[in-house]
Amino acid sequence: MQQLVFDFFTLLNLEPIEIRQGVWQVQADDALMKELDGWRAQGRLLQFTFEQRAAEMYGADLICQGSYRLNSILQVIRRQGILSQAHIPHEYFHEPSIRKKILGGFSASERAYVVNCSLQYTQYIQLEILVEARGLQKKESIHTVVVDLSSCKVLKFAFPHHLLKAGGVGADAVRKRRCSIKQALITASSHLQGTIVSDIAWAQAAENKLAQEETKLRDFFQGRTESDEYQAKKQELQQRLAPVLTMDALRGAILWVPLYQYRLVVVATSGKEQSKTLTYDPVGNWYLQDLDQITRDAPDRTSTHH
Amino acid sequence: MHQLFSDSANREPKGTDQIVLDEVAHRHYRAEVLAHGLKEIVRGLRSNHFDTWEWYSLAKSADTFMVNQQQTTDLLAIEYLKERWKQVGVVPYSHQLQTARKVIFDMQGQAILADEVGLGKTIEAGLILKEYLLRGLARKVLILTPASLLWQWYQELQEKFGISAGIQRSEWDWGFSDILIASLDTAKREPHASQIAAIPYDLLIIDEAHKLKNSSTVSYRFVNSIQKKYCLMLTATPIQNDLKELYNLIALIKPGQLGSYRSFKNRFIKDKRTPKNPQELKGLLSGVVVRNQREAGTIQFTKRIVHPLVISLTTKEQELYDRVTRFVRERSREKGLQNILPLITLQREVCSTFLATALTLEKMMDNMEPEQLSHVADLLKDLANVKQNSKCDALERLVGEIARDKIIIFTEYKASQEYIRYRLERAGYKTLAFDGTLSRGKKQWIRHMFQKEAQILVSTESGGEGLNFQFCHQIVNFDLPWNPMRLEQRIGRVHRLGQTRDVHIFNLLTKDTIEEHIMYLLHQKINMFESIIGELDTILLHLNLGRSFESEIMEIFLAHEEQEAIRARLDRFGDHFIKGQTEAKTSTWDLF
Repeated sequence: MQQLVFDFFTLLNLEPIEIRQGVWQVQADDALMKELDGWRAQGRLLQFTFEQRAAEMYGADLICQGSYRLNSILQVIRRQGILSQAHIPHEYFHEPSIRKKILGGFSASERAYVVNCSLQYTQYIQLEILVEARGLQKKESIHTVVVDLSSCKVLKFAFPHHLLKAGGVGADAVRKRRCSIKQALITASSHLQGTIVSDIAWAQAAENKLAQEETKLRDFFQGRTESDEYQAKKQELQQRLAPVLTMDALRGAILWVPLYQYRLVVVATSGKEQSKTLTYDPVGNWYLQDLDQITRDAPDRTSTHH
Repeated sequence: MHQLFSDSANREPKGTDQIVLDEVAHRHYRAEVLAHGLKEIVRGLRSNHFDTWEWYSLAKSADTFMVNQQQTTDLLAIEYLKERWKQVGVVPYSHQLQTARKVIFDMQGQAILADEVGLGKTIEAGLILKEYLLRGLARKVLILTPASLLWQWYQELQEKFGISAGIQRSEWDWGFSDILIASLDTAKREPHASQIAAIPYDLLIIDEAHKLKNSSTVSYRFVNSIQKKYCLMLTATPIQNDLKELYNLIALIKPGQLGSYRSFKNRFIKDKRTPKNPQELKGLLSGVVVRNQREAGTIQFTKRIVHPLVISLTTKEQELYDRVTRFVRERSREKGLQNILPLITLQREVCSTFLATALTLEKMMDNMEPEQLSHVADLLKDLANVKQNSKCDALERLVGEIARDKIIIFTEYKASQEYIRYRLERAGYKTLAFDGTLSRGKKQWIRHMFQKEAQILVSTESGGEGLNFQFCHQIVNFDLPWNPMRLEQRIGRVHRLGQTRDVHIFNLLTKDTIEEHIMYLLHQKINMFESIIGELDTILLHLNLGRSFESEIMEIFLAHEEQEAIRARLDRFGDHFIKGQTEAKTSTWDLF
């Protein structure tokens, strides 16, 4: 909690000063105070502490679980960072090694030559999804899911945080998205349902309770189940007790991940030449695509010398 | 920094009525993908507005922090309100927290909160409301109360729970405000009723819910038509006369809990006040009704200490008192007991101040025969000539002794109120007047002034809104109300949850007047002052008097002139009251 608060001020380029042991002071301007306390607030010297005693003694704002000041700070933080971006730079990877790996991947009966290599970025979206299981009670959890926007597939593991560098990349080196953000969210949500919602005890308990209550309601209405009143009461019951799992994206980040695209000529022992484009993803360590295969009977050796 | 926050104001708040993007029915549950967050992300992408990675990471940590905080199985509101409660001096009682837990975790937000008077039903309801708001389970909330309690609810929610509710003023408010407090009587009328029926409420709170005991009333049908997910009904008297009332109330929030009425009647009603199979019924009721009682020993109220101060009237005062009493007796003999109300007033006023008596007599002269007028005019003249008021002299002496702390002086009459203030101001005390005709704002202002500045409040109002004065612990009853309900309301203004000191009650009573008898009945016989009787309205209903408490006393007083005879009748009446009290407690209350 303390780290969150100090990080918040640091990101605002404000440096809290410890004026007494456990009591900090920071100069908050109008804009920040309005965000924290509403449109009427004005800039002031904000004093805060994490200790009840110090708060009482010096009149500083108490920051503890459930306190007004902590909540106002959390609210401001949570309104930020709805959409962000980060990338993994190409420099992190040694291109000659990748080239070697690619060429080494062909069978002994083939020889391959690199015609050219282009550096590209593909897009992933990292979604922070709030999953809310509502049965007799409500249970919330947050899950990070990364979806490849070129294939609309969910990545098994999130990208290691240390590889990601803040900010985006130049637009010309970017591959187009083949999957909309909406599709990505639906895919991510189905993935979550399949993986994390294995424990359905909450839903079964709510279902049982709902069934019990519906029986009581039917008895009460004594066969008048077609009446509007019965339907209305039944709907109220459903709203209150029917188990529902909702998923909502709290925030998302576009992740630009490097790709190495090689144009190759592959020569078989028969002398048959084949032009091939291979795209390699160094993070996932896989070949992404196999594009425009052109087969030529007469080899054109010159092309290999580019 | 301006740059950083520039976009946040435009971001839509997250509500509970979300657009569903995708819906899948599983075997055991329904899965919904909501569009709210997606919309925000897409908006950012379209406008090419990316927040920094650092803010993203920090916001992610804040999300996790918040969600972890909410995963507690206890009430979130306790943590959230801790600081506020400390500031405003609220100490939540364990029975209130237990009730909130039970309603939320066991009853799925449907309950009748039937605590005895003064145990804090409003606090319990506020706590439950706050919890639902914090957990994101309620957004659209309607609170229906009697019109006189609107402001009190508004203030309690704001002050004790930090909930900004609106008070309904026009027909536009129903759709506009998320948390709205409205009068039940207004809400049930058109055009309001049909507008309310079209709104799905997450939580409906109904105060004084015993008004819905009759299923054939407009109020009942109206409340039944409201779409509600969770519902709380607040009443200290879920049963008053008939077990059917309880059935009706429960049918409003949980139809079917007690089966159909026919089966309920067969299984559980012996006669309308006595249940059959009480244990079984008790089991069923425990799923819907929460009732905390004082006897349970969970709540420690401070003591009530009674100081009766007997005042001897001067010979002249006594003579005038006797003349007025004679006049009352004569008039009642002439007119019978049909128009007894003005005579009761007169008899009570003569124990307060002659000024108040004179004003009533003057009004009565309008409806008198000419031959009586001269007699009354003489009486009026003599009343006006009395310069001394022994009761006020005694009051001045008393105030001189106890004025270190704040004092509330109650009187039933406006004329007495003015006279008391005149006398005390003349003696150098700073006083304030409080009465039922003041606007809400003025009442609040006077309360504030009394708390901060003035020493003495002279009030003619014993109940109603904005009248909680726990910061004061001394009451003076300048005159005694004849109705125990009114007396309890007076004491209840200061002797309630939140009072930290023993409450001193000073009763000024004039010797050899009817006040002595009233004091005997209320204090010695039924011990009204020192113990909290509880559900007085229920007891009075149970007594089935057929007329008001005041009329009953007046009838005793008029029927006998000898003091012993009056005392004997009051004894019998007191016994009857105590019996009614015991019966009311042991018959239906055993159910909860």
